[in-house]
Amino acid sequence: MRLRHPVPYEELDHTADAGVLVRGDSKEETLGRLVLAYADLVTGGAPLASGADQVIEVEAGDLAGMAVDVLRELLFHFETERWVPESCEVALLDPERGARVVVGTGAYDPVAHTDGLVLKAVTLHAARFEPEGGGWVAAVVFDT
Amino acid sequence: MTLPLRQLSPFCWEIPRRGGMRVPGRVYVTEAQLAALSADRALEQVAAVAHLPGIVGASLAMPDIHWGYGFPIGGVAAVDAEGGAVSPGGVGYDINCGCRVITTQLPVDEVRRNTHAIVSRLFATIPTGMGAGSAIPKLSRRELRELMAQGADWAVARGYRAGADDATHCEEGGRLQGAEPEWVSDRALARGADQVGTLGSGNHFLELQHVAEIYDPEAAAAFGLRTGEITLMIHSGSRGLGHQVCDETLHELSRVYERFGADYAALPDRQLACAPIGSELGTRYLGAMQAAANFAWANRQVMTGLAVRAVAEAMGLAEPELGARVLYDVCHNIAKFEEHQVDGQPRRVLVHRKGATRAFGPGDPRVPEAYRAVGQPVLIPGDMGRYSFVLAGNASAMTETFGSSCHGAGRLLSRTAALKHARGRDIERELASRGIEVLARGPRTLGEEMSEAYKDVEDVVDVIAGAGISRKVAKLVPLGVIKG
Repeated sequence: MRLRHPVPYEELDHTADAGVLVRGDSKEETLGRLVLAYADLVTGGAPLASGADQVIEVEAGDLAGMAVDVLRELLFHFETERWVPESCEVALLDPERGARVVVGTGAYDPVAHTDGLVLKAVTLHAARFEPEGGGWVAAVVFDT
Repeated sequence: MTLPLRQLSPFCWEIPRRGGMRVPGRVYVTEAQLAALSADRALEQVAAVAHLPGIVGASLAMPDIHWGYGFPIGGVAAVDAEGGAVSPGGVGYDINCGCRVITTQLPVDEVRRNTHAIVSRLFATIPTGMGAGSAIPKLSRRELRELMAQGADWAVARGYRAGADDATHCEEGGRLQGAEPEWVSDRALARGADQVGTLGSGNHFLELQHVAEIYDPEAAAAFGLRTGEITLMIHSGSRGLGHQVCDETLHELSRVYERFGADYAALPDRQLACAPIGSELGTRYLGAMQAAANFAWANRQVMTGLAVRAVAEAMGLAEPELGARVLYDVCHNIAKFEEHQVDGQPRRVLVHRKGATRAFGPGDPRVPEAYRAVGQPVLIPGDMGRYSFVLAGNASAMTETFGSSCHGAGRLLSRTAALKHARGRDIERELASRGIEVLARGPRTLGEEMSEAYKDVEDVVDVIAGAGISRKVAKLVPLGVIKG
């Protein structure tokens, strides 16, 4: 299932930084929503044009750690290539095998996205990815 | 969680040892400030830091304490240099985020009528905000490694300077000798290649200020601070390069730190992940971290040269006519090997300062000769609508806080809460009505960074002064601000 920016998410209240919390029916959908919530913080909610797909792969680990690692990769690409995810499809999310995420890239526009936050790092601080009710919940705090 | 607290003085509270804490916590705040701390988990973080392997003395927190990652912002922890652990979380993501003050001989009355031209020129000259780059031509990997080996001197040698003694007037001479540029990854180099001479975002700023009040004439004279003269203050760090160094180390450490032993496995927070100082990973981090620290000094030094040039151009003066010189430059986020008295004995320790400033007292040979009689300049930025302070280190800092002081006002409101307060207001106009011209990337930055989002920095420095750690020398009031 490919999700597209924007998606609903909760902004976490942190004294100095920014965090997001998302929910989904499956863990794959939840990671996809987390990826697009990150995009929304960076763009300030302004629309993104869709571009070519890129594949992000990270090593196996616990779900929260893999989610943080996917976002770390995206942040590095943003810092060096200036794109953010416009769409997202999680092809694999397995603590034994790792994660594989296909993202549709959207070019960052410093004028259109001027209300976006400058995210400098993705932290393990308060990172969570766990079942909740019949679905999943994930949260990440970013250094700003 | 409510922690037991014991009042040691009007300005200091102790969190007694319990559980796996190796030392007590010690927090420098007033009773009123302590009550406000219950809103976040910063005190729990002070207690958590007390679990670090090799920590000595106490886990300390300065009065600008607030919630961070692993360590609180405003946290200071010294660990034994041989048997202790180095924690990247105790340095922070923005390695050697720091502050610099440049004095000039320009009178405020002459500058005030040119404020708009100066602030506009500064904003056009020094890139700010999201991924800001290209203040100077993009550097190759070889050039970046040279820069990280040389620190501030790299920029001075290329003409980015205020006076002849800029690097001398930086903590550590603007260069940590243990830097290992080869241990900085290609990814970190990629992030930093076009960011030298750029301000960044968030709470980073460049301010045009004037000296509004002198409290300690002797120290002010030594520092070259005179009432009514213009200063520039720069707050910035190692940009994406430093973040990448910290990020990569934390990523690696989070997977292996428990293998260093039971002390490490028992740490109460993953963001405190650390490595023995002498381990391969600890050594590698320390080398890369020090290289990133040198990058930050070069960054602030390039901005110094660009800012002096911009002010001179806006004023229609030649650069020497400004009489500009670097007063001092301090690290806010760093871990450094220093010798301190522990239990009455000299001991080599690794002092983590995360959102804290070195504040060595009078007579210390590590303080530049020009300032040695009065103590190290301690630069404390406030918020963009009020004031900042220059303090001087006192001898008691060496016995109380491993020669450390506060680093700023400290946030009071989260970004979300600040934006709610800013809704419907024109922060730029409010500041203009108080004689402060601000240029920022967008209105969101102004809302997040408005004065009310921060504690009153005077309340913070009054605690430090009351506790005898540093003393007030001068108050600096902004005329203009550029922000990311």
